[in-house]
Amino acid sequence: MSHLCEGRVALVTGGSRGLGRAICLALAREGAIVAFNYLKADADAEATVAQIEAAGGRASAHKVSVLDKPGLAELARALDRAHGKIDILVNNAGHGQVVPLALMEESDWDEMLDTHVKGAFLTTQAVLRIMVRERYGRVINVSSLAGVKMMQAPVHYATAKAALKGFTESLAKEIGRYGITVNCVAPGVLDEGVSDHLPPARREEYLRHCALRRVGRLDEAADMIAFLASDRASYANGATLVVDGAV
Amino acid sequence: MLRDGKVVHLVRCAACGPQEREVSADAAAYVRSFLARGVVPDGLVGDHLFKHTTSTCPGCLALVTAQVVIRKGQVFFLKDCERCGPSEALVSEDAGYYVKAYSFARAGTEPLIFRNTAEHGCPTDCGTCDDHEQHTCLPIVEVTDHCNLECPICIVDNQYSNHMAPATFAKIVDGLVEAEGACESLALSGGEPTSHPNILELLAIANRPEIGRVVLITNGIRLGKDRAFARALKDMGVYVGLQLDGFTADVHTKLRGRDLVAEKAAALAVLAELDIPTQLIFVATRGVNDHQIGQVVELFLSGPHFLSLNFQPVAYTGHGGGTFDHDPNNRLTIPGVIKRIDEQTAGKVNYTDFFPLPCSHPQCVSLTYLLRLDDGTSIPFARFVDFEKHATLLRSSATLPATAEVEDALIDVIHDVFARQDEIPRGAEILAALRRSLDEMFPKQPLSSREAFRVSERQSKSIFLHHYMDRHDFDLERLRKCCHHYPQIDGRIMPACGFNMFHRGAAKGPDTPRAKFGRAPFSLPVIT
Repeated sequence: MSHLCEGRVALVTGGSRGLGRAICLALAREGAIVAFNYLKADADAEATVAQIEAAGGRASAHKVSVLDKPGLAELARALDRAHGKIDILVNNAGHGQVVPLALMEESDWDEMLDTHVKGAFLTTQAVLRIMVRERYGRVINVSSLAGVKMMQAPVHYATAKAALKGFTESLAKEIGRYGITVNCVAPGVLDEGVSDHLPPARREEYLRHCALRRVGRLDEAADMIAFLASDRASYANGATLVVDGAV
Repeated sequence: MLRDGKVVHLVRCAACGPQEREVSADAAAYVRSFLARGVVPDGLVGDHLFKHTTSTCPGCLALVTAQVVIRKGQVFFLKDCERCGPSEALVSEDAGYYVKAYSFARAGTEPLIFRNTAEHGCPTDCGTCDDHEQHTCLPIVEVTDHCNLECPICIVDNQYSNHMAPATFAKIVDGLVEAEGACESLALSGGEPTSHPNILELLAIANRPEIGRVVLITNGIRLGKDRAFARALKDMGVYVGLQLDGFTADVHTKLRGRDLVAEKAAALAVLAELDIPTQLIFVATRGVNDHQIGQVVELFLSGPHFLSLNFQPVAYTGHGGGTFDHDPNNRLTIPGVIKRIDEQTAGKVNYTDFFPLPCSHPQCVSLTYLLRLDDGTSIPFARFVDFEKHATLLRSSATLPATAEVEDALIDVIHDVFARQDEIPRGAEILAALRRSLDEMFPKQPLSSREAFRVSERQSKSIFLHHYMDRHDFDLERLRKCCHHYPQIDGRIMPACGFNMFHRGAAKGPDTPRAKFGRAPFSLPVIT
């Protein structure tokens, strides 16, 4: 069976660990050349590259913030120079924070919105020009169940993830004419994911409402993303795919 | 003609009436094979026949068949009149441009109503008749036949007999709106329209919602002397089309009959001071003012109030032009003017920046748009827009209408520059200018439609070349697609060159016998 992303070039934001790493591994397993950026964790980034290379894949790690516009432009140019294109972009970079609105600092809000939303905007803008030129692209934004359903989640986190759904739908309309699809994946609670450290009561509540009676695995969300990044998902556009075991 | 993706041959027989025959079901394939006929075989000596058309005998003005031949890289009409014998005329100084221009041919758009039905065929049934292939893009109303100059190259035939009554003018505007729904532009001309005693009243009549832009075409003499008049134009939002054929006394004297240097300078000064949106009109004549073409381009690029520059290679027709000294085989044509623009502007505007306008016949008009960059300089759109792909953007005016088709093309242009910004010279500046244009056209507080129109037209400039026809290079297929029309007091809307050639009675100068179907301006009853 042929690989889903054979010959494709992918950029994943926040790929050094957690779901980002799983996405990198899934794309590489499906034949893509994978580049990812990260902010701080050098050792984790090296581990991700090593894991991909050990499995026979090709990967590169780039220490650049998703809020560093010139750095992102240079990263996109470098990948374009090296590979002649960028086919796949996964806007995954983000972080969680458990804090009620009453105690939320303005800086908390800004950091959450900046990383998830502004980061997706800046990275997409840097990469999009190459996709437009090539008249091909797959953009996948990693949202969250918290962004599409009413649930107990930090307000700034839910806001940022909901924004990514709007970002997806509007961008899909805007650039579909160039053969570029934009989709969104909204995972539920994933083992070792950003919501892994939920208070036990919340976790139990989630499991009570989940039809599959378990939390998801990182690779289950990552595989869905790899599928959306492939030509097999050629008519999926502007969609938000919830991967939550039916909550 | 092209119609619904097909090619149709229209025939009008005096005995049997109109007939039509489908020549090809695939217009695109037909155009390709047609263009291939313009490829001159290697090593050919002598003329290469490209096509045939219908022209006029320069002696008796009878319609005659013309062979359109390519000779040493230029295009000539070869004609043979039964009465007057053979003649030749240069029609293009660049055969490559001439042949390729046909690839820009597009089917026209009919007006809401035609004034006449075709009975005897073009050009006898003008008004326009239902055989005409294009609606009125640029109506020009000659509101007077009085003038304060006697120009040696005048293409009309002033009789100093009429100032159009305001009520008549209002009827004409009503008729235009009835035929077109709305007009992007309406020009008032003459004679010299500023000599009309009620010119401001006429301009006020034209200033209505269906008319996007009211343009006063003038030699500028009154503007320079009468500041209150200029102020009134500014207050009414009128645009000025200023004739400016050069910068020296000898040029003015040869083309306009006397030294106008000081008067043109005075007009230019008041237009700049009052920031009146201005079109410059330069009649280009070989050996007279073609060395000053670059200078007028530089002037045009220097002022933000200059919206468009219109070059008109001289047409040897009319009271003055019909007898102006000339050689029909050695004259300026559109490619010759573009070549001089290229040579005289040091790379600011190049030969390859120009494209034929598909709206009219592609041999009639060539143009380029220039985007205003944030540093005040301008860059031709052709440097970053593929006009062969986006012919939709080639329009007959300085502004682009807010249609879905145009919006679609503009989105593609923005993304194309975005994607290729490192390859396109000044790519980042172009993107910044496009962004500025969006901000100005779509501010946080919405603009009225008229304000939006005014703001949008300041985002770019345009340079047009429009070659009016005369008895040498007259081409009936061009006339049928003409969209520059003279509305008349009797309700007819006359394609410009047909009117100049067959109706004014001055195609060879003031004593030219008028065609038997010809009707001079102001000669018929006023529409009621």
